[in-house]
Amino acid sequence: MRQQPLPLGFDPLQGFEEFHSGPNAELVSHLRELAAGGTEPFIHLWGAAGQGKSHLLNACCRDAHRRGLSCAYLPLATLRDYGPEVLEGLGALDLLCLDDLEQIGGDPAWEQSLFSLFNELRDKDRRLLTASSQPPAHLPVNLPDLKTRLGWGLTLHLAPLTDSDRLLALHLHARAMGLDLPEAAGRYLMAHHPRDLGSLRQLLGELDRATLAAQRKLTVPFIKTYLEHLA
Amino acid sequence: MSALWSACIRKLEGELPAQQFNTWIRPLQAVESELELKLLAPNRFVLDWVKQHFFDKIEEAVSIQKPQPHPQVVLEIGSKAQAPGAGDRPASPRKPAGKAKLPNNLNPAHIFSNFVEGKSNQLAKAASMQVAQSVGRAYNPLFIYGGVGLGKTHLMHAIGNEILRTNPSANIVYLHSERFVSDMVKALQHNAIAAFKEFYRNVDALLIDDIQFFAGKEQSQEEFFHTFNTLLENKHQVVLTCDRYPKEIKGLQERLKSRFGWGLPVAIEPPDLETRVAILMSKAQANNVELSPEVAFFIGKRIRSNIRELEGALRRVMANAHFTGRPITLDFAKEALRDLIALQDRMVSVENIQKTVAEYFKIKLADLLSNKRTRSLARPRQIAMALSKELTNHSLPEIGQMFGGRDHTTVLHATRKVQELKESDAKFQEDYSNLLRTLSS
Repeated sequence: MRQQPLPLGFDPLQGFEEFHSGPNAELVSHLRELAAGGTEPFIHLWGAAGQGKSHLLNACCRDAHRRGLSCAYLPLATLRDYGPEVLEGLGALDLLCLDDLEQIGGDPAWEQSLFSLFNELRDKDRRLLTASSQPPAHLPVNLPDLKTRLGWGLTLHLAPLTDSDRLLALHLHARAMGLDLPEAAGRYLMAHHPRDLGSLRQLLGELDRATLAAQRKLTVPFIKTYLEHLA
Repeated sequence: MSALWSACIRKLEGELPAQQFNTWIRPLQAVESELELKLLAPNRFVLDWVKQHFFDKIEEAVSIQKPQPHPQVVLEIGSKAQAPGAGDRPASPRKPAGKAKLPNNLNPAHIFSNFVEGKSNQLAKAASMQVAQSVGRAYNPLFIYGGVGLGKTHLMHAIGNEILRTNPSANIVYLHSERFVSDMVKALQHNAIAAFKEFYRNVDALLIDDIQFFAGKEQSQEEFFHTFNTLLENKHQVVLTCDRYPKEIKGLQERLKSRFGWGLPVAIEPPDLETRVAILMSKAQANNVELSPEVAFFIGKRIRSNIRELEGALRRVMANAHFTGRPITLDFAKEALRDLIALQDRMVSVENIQKTVAEYFKIKLADLLSNKRTRSLARPRQIAMALSKELTNHSLPEIGQMFGGRDHTTVLHATRKVQELKESDAKFQEDYSNLLRTLSS
């Protein structure tokens, strides 16, 4: 049986060290504090898709885990179909990271369960990090009790990276994968592929596997052929 | 913990990556007997995952630790008496031995002295203080109602903390209504409903938050009804909070609605600007942060809807100042809240709503804002008011003011009427949705 990704775990390859913060240095500093059990109990992170929200949530988990804290990363886009029972018992964790919060907006059972979990975490002085594409006040959440609670803590906006920052982030990601990404190849990717980091990282993963299979180095001609083959 | 399971845990901890072990194996609880090792998972999701990915490893560990005949490994959803997440109160509540102290769940930070008083909440605060000073005798039950994030929970904790200050041996229990429901369900599962009843009927003061979540939960309402009666008969204090007036809670038994109104129902309204500024100054002081009135007025003017959002904005400014080491000036606050303000500016204005609604119904804007009460004007006006409440952060009095100087109760009536019509009239619902879509796009 093929091993499925671990929905409640976190990706140990996505740490703060592998994240290029660019204009988001303050945001990263607040998240590092949170992962260390800092004083802000609730942080909501928002920004467009593909900018690294999931990476940062995973990074918080990895950091917290290294400090011996219990933590879990829950991508709600994947877990929504399991139903809100997924949240049961998670109030006992030191740090809970909930990604794609907008995915459960409008579902009364999910909203009610998240509301209860929030209250439990608050009563126990535990830490909660949530992420979505919108700030709390704009989330498609119907339960006002939940919506206002999500905006109670520190709300942080993940600012988009400039192209030069994206390029740096891509190199950092390649290095974490153990992949040699020449300067010219990076620039070529940026010029010929959607420039959101999520897509670029995904493509880099595919290119990594393709270069291994072909036993070739990652060069501009290789990328060109690969992209032509995809089209 | 079962000795067999302890030994298995040690083995599995050595074999599995720490992350997987902590996430999946550690939360399991074991009940061991001669013939089986029952492992209890907190929910269906964990159970399925463990069954799929770790069951073979667990069986192998058991067979190594206890050779033939080794007990059968059974996976079930459930928990032992202390449920996961049940925290400081047992899942099967026990009767306190004599006058033993119960865990109260009170937040010691919520006290009367740091509750910022204004026109919108002074009656609620005064009533709460009186209840705390003469437990079970002043107003019973005290029913505090109002919108989200206005300080109901703060007042409730303050009552509990004040009672404890004057009588440290008092048994007080604070909880959310959904916790009452889940405790009851657990008590039923563990055959401990008698102990559950004893637990809640023997407190000196029972403080239940957000009782609107009892709606539709018949059995919980039944149990709460009896608990409530017992406490009142014995002159023990009951304090309840809710997002609306007792009579307006849908899905709640009539006899409960009626009883909730027996004592004193008292409202908390959204705070006015002066109160919002005072709240900001007080919160900043509590965090040892210097905040000038100028900055407090700036934030207070921008954030109008509720105190949680106000606190969230202040947190943002304080966190930014902490990170940069810069003093909080007006320009600094504007910069720190730039994203939030930009978002608010993108939000619809009341003027825009009025104009759009007038155009949609082909009436004059002046008529929409006039005193005329014909149905052809009153309905669009009500819709515009409801949309203003839904799409802007303005308080009800502010919306009323912008509709020809009307009272906030008119706005409240309009929003209720619109809700009612949306549920009963398909054409009305369609009109409302069309307008909502136009204004939100």
